[in-house]
Amino acid sequence: MTLLLALLFAAAEPPGAQLFADANAAFLSGDVSRAIAAYEALVSEGVTSPELETNLGAAWLRQGKRGAAALHFERALFLDPGDEDARADLLEVRRGNVDRLEGEPEDGGWETLSRLLAPLPGAAAGIALLVLWGAAWALWGIRLFRSSPRFLSTAVAACFASAALAGLVVWGAAAGQRMAMKRGVVVAHSVPAREGPADKSASRFEIHEGTTVRVEDEDSGFRRVKLSNGLTGWVPSSTVEWVVPPGWAGRPTIALK
Amino acid sequence: MIPRRTGRALCAALLCALPALGAAEVELSAAADASEVALDGTLVLRVTARYSSKGPAGDLQVPPFADFDIVSRSQSEQLSFSLSGGSATIERTVTTSLMLTPKRVGDLTIEPIKLEFRGKTYQTDPIGIRVVPAGQAAGGGRGPDAPPDRRSDAAEPFADVHPGQRDLVLRAAVDNDHPFVGQQVTWSLYLLARTNVSSIEKLSSPRLDGFWSLDIEAPQQLVPEQRILDGVPYTAYLLRRRALFPLRAGAATIDPAEVQVVTGFGMLFSRGSSRRSSQPIQLEVQPLPPGKPPGFDAGNVGQWTLQATAEPEAVVVGQPITFRLVASGRGNVRDLRLPRLPEIPGIRAYEATTADKDTIERGKVNGTRTVEQLLVPERTGALEIPALSMDVFDPALKQYRTLRTERIPLRVNPGQAGLPASEAAPQNLLSAGGIRPIRLRLGSVQRAAPPWTQPWFWPLLGAPPFGVALALGIAGLRRMLQVDPGEKRVRLARGAAARRLKGARALLQRGESLAFYAEVARAVTGYLLDKQGVAAAGLTREELAAALGARGYGEETVRRVIRVLDDCDRARFAPGSSDAPAREAMLGRADQVLNELDRGRA
Repeated sequence: MTLLLALLFAAAEPPGAQLFADANAAFLSGDVSRAIAAYEALVSEGVTSPELETNLGAAWLRQGKRGAAALHFERALFLDPGDEDARADLLEVRRGNVDRLEGEPEDGGWETLSRLLAPLPGAAAGIALLVLWGAAWALWGIRLFRSSPRFLSTAVAACFASAALAGLVVWGAAAGQRMAMKRGVVVAHSVPAREGPADKSASRFEIHEGTTVRVEDEDSGFRRVKLSNGLTGWVPSSTVEWVVPPGWAGRPTIALK
Repeated sequence: MIPRRTGRALCAALLCALPALGAAEVELSAAADASEVALDGTLVLRVTARYSSKGPAGDLQVPPFADFDIVSRSQSEQLSFSLSGGSATIERTVTTSLMLTPKRVGDLTIEPIKLEFRGKTYQTDPIGIRVVPAGQAAGGGRGPDAPPDRRSDAAEPFADVHPGQRDLVLRAAVDNDHPFVGQQVTWSLYLLARTNVSSIEKLSSPRLDGFWSLDIEAPQQLVPEQRILDGVPYTAYLLRRRALFPLRAGAATIDPAEVQVVTGFGMLFSRGSSRRSSQPIQLEVQPLPPGKPPGFDAGNVGQWTLQATAEPEAVVVGQPITFRLVASGRGNVRDLRLPRLPEIPGIRAYEATTADKDTIERGKVNGTRTVEQLLVPERTGALEIPALSMDVFDPALKQYRTLRTERIPLRVNPGQAGLPASEAAPQNLLSAGGIRPIRLRLGSVQRAAPPWTQPWFWPLLGAPPFGVALALGIAGLRRMLQVDPGEKRVRLARGAAARRLKGARALLQRGESLAFYAEVARAVTGYLLDKQGVAAAGLTREELAAALGARGYGEETVRRVIRVLDDCDRARFAPGSSDAPAREAMLGRADQVLNELDRGRA
C-alpha cells in the first residue's frame, strides 16, 4: 500500500520537478550559472513550462544576457499568454533594451494584434467547432428527411451560429499562431542588418539583443527580419532565435544530418 | 590585612609629622534636602561644621523649631588630611542630620542653628521651606516616605550593629520591613571595616524571588564614610542599593548577600582576602487594606498623578488629534494599569501605544507611563474627550485615592475644499518594475500543434455536409428507382405508339400493306390501352366511343379514332382497297389522332 501511494505521489509530480527545485536552489544561493545549466537541461529534456521559461529568463537576465532573457520570457508568454510574471519581466527587460524604435508601426500593430489574439482558446474552439458543425448538419439532415418537431429548427440554427462563433475564434487563434510562429528575438549582443543574405551586403542599420522581430524569410543562413516600424534587413540566423522553437506548436524539429 | 595596631601607628606617625596648624577656624553651614515637602512628609536638615584644627568639636545648639518637629537626630564625623607644597592640612567635618516634619501648610522657615566654638558663636542662615497639603507630591522635595540620603540614613542601619572584635562586617538593611504589596522597599548593602579595604572582588546579590527589583545604586568605586559603632571608628562602604516591590502579601525573606573583600595596601603591607555574608532580612508584606474601590487593579500602588491632554484641540475634520494620558509619580510603573478611552461618537480612535520610563530620584523609583492614541474626528462641531478616572492605593497615606482627568473639549471645523484634511505623512515610495521572484513550482503545458493544423481536422469538418449531400442523393436515386409499372406504361404510351408508327412506316416501305395496317391499328389500340386503360380490341365501336367519351374526349376526336381503326380493319380484310397515297395518309391520320388523344380531354 505504501509503495502504491509512493508511486502515485511520484506520478503526481511533473517530470523534472527535482531538477527544477535544484536549479531554483542554485539560483537563490547565487550560483546562477549552475541554475542556468539545470534549467537548460530541463528544456533539452523536453519539459515545457511557463515557470521554467520565466525562471530561465530571470537567470539569463541576472547574467546580463538581455536577449536570452527576453527570448525565454516570450516563450513563457507563448505557453501561457496570461502569465503576469512573464509579461512584467519582459517589460522590464525591454525597458533596458538598446534599441528604441521610432515611427508609427508600419504593420498596423502587428505585435499588439498578435498579443491580443494569443490568449484565444484556439484548441478548445477547434474541438467545439467540429462538434457543433457536425451536430448542426446532423440535425438539419434529420429535419430534411423526417417530419420533425419545430424546436429542431431552432436547434439547427443555434448549432450553426455557435459553430460560426467557434470558427471565428479558431480563425483568430490561427492568425495569432501564425504571427507567433514568425516572431523572433535578437540574442546576439549586436548584429548589422544587411540588404541581402550575405556578409558582403551593405548594412543598413544595427539591432541589439532583446529586440523582438518578425522573421519573414530565411535563406543561406540568414533571416530576413522586420521590426515593428517597418525596418527590414537580413541578419545571420544564429543571431535571431525563434520564439516558438522547433518541436513546439507544430513547428518542425531540425533534422540532424 | 593590615593589623589594627599597625594602622593606628601609621595614623599617629602621620599626625605627628603634621606641622603646627594655624588659628582655629570653623565653617558652619546648613542645607535641607528639599525646598518643598508635604505636610505628612519629612525632610532632612544637614548641619555641617568643618574644623581646620584638631581638638573637641564645638557645641551645636539646635533651637526648638516653631514650625517643625524633630523626628530624629544623628551625627557623623569625618577626618581628612592632605599634603600640598610640603605642608599637611587636616580637616575635621562633623555633620549633624535632623529629620524634620512640618507642623502646618504654608511657607515656613527653619530657624538658624548656632555653634559655640572656642568662645565664638557661629550660626547658619534661615532656610525657607514650602509645605503643601498631605498626599500631594512635593515638587521640590521628597515624599513623605522618602528615606534619608546616604549620609543621614547611614546611621540607622547600623543602630543595632555590634561588631565586637570583627574588622569586617557585611550589613544588609531595608528601610521598611512592613511594606504593602507593591510598595517600594529599599534594600542596602554596606561593608563596615576598621581595616583598610583595597577592593571588592566578588559580590553575590541575594535572589529576590517574590519581588520586582531595580538597581538604585551600584557604586563602581568604594566611597568611605566614617561611622562610630560601639565607640570604635569604622569605615562604611555602600556596596549596593536596590528597590524592591513585593509582589504578594505574607512573610518574605531576603537571603544573605556575599562579598569577597581584599584588604591591605599593595606594596608596603600584606594583602588579604576575606569572605563575608550579610544577615538575612525578614519582611512582613501587608496586603492592601480593605475598602478597595470596585474594579481596583492591584498593580496601581504608589503615589501617582494622572493627566490627559489632546493636541490640537481645534482641528479640521479628518485631521488627527494626539491624545496623551500620562501617569507619573512614585511606584512601580510597570504594574500600573491606566483607564482606557471609551468609544466617542464621531471620533475614530486608533490603537494606543504605551511608553514607560523609570527614573531614580532620591533613592526612590519614579515612573511615567504615557499612553498615546491617535483620534480622528469624523464629523464637525463640538466634541469632547470624557474625563477618565483611576483608583490607586497610596501606601504613604494608607488609603485609596481616585485620580481624575479633566474633560477635554474639541472643536472640529469643516475642511476646506481642495485641501488635504491632514498633512501628508512620510511615505515609502515603491516604484513599479523590477524582475519578479522566480517560481518554485513547475507546471506543464501542452505544446502540441493546434487541432486545425492536424491532417484530420479539415476532412472531419467537411464530413457532415458531405454526408448530408450523400443522403440526399441516395434518397433521390431511390425515388427514381421506385416507378409504378402502370404509371410507366401511361408515361411511355405515346413513345410506344410512335415507335409502332415508325415500324409501320418500315413495313410500308417494304410493301407489306397488311402488316402495315395491322401495325397502325396496334399503335392506336396499344396507346388507348396503355394511356387510357381502354381495351379497344374487345369493344364495339359504340362501346369504344362511349368509353372515350366517358374519359372526356371530344366527339370529333372519338370519331377520328374510330374511323382510323375502321379504315385499318377495312384495308386488312379487303386488300387492294387502298393505294400508296392512302397508306401514307393513314400514317399521318394515326399520328394526328394519337396527338389529339395525348393532348388530353376536350
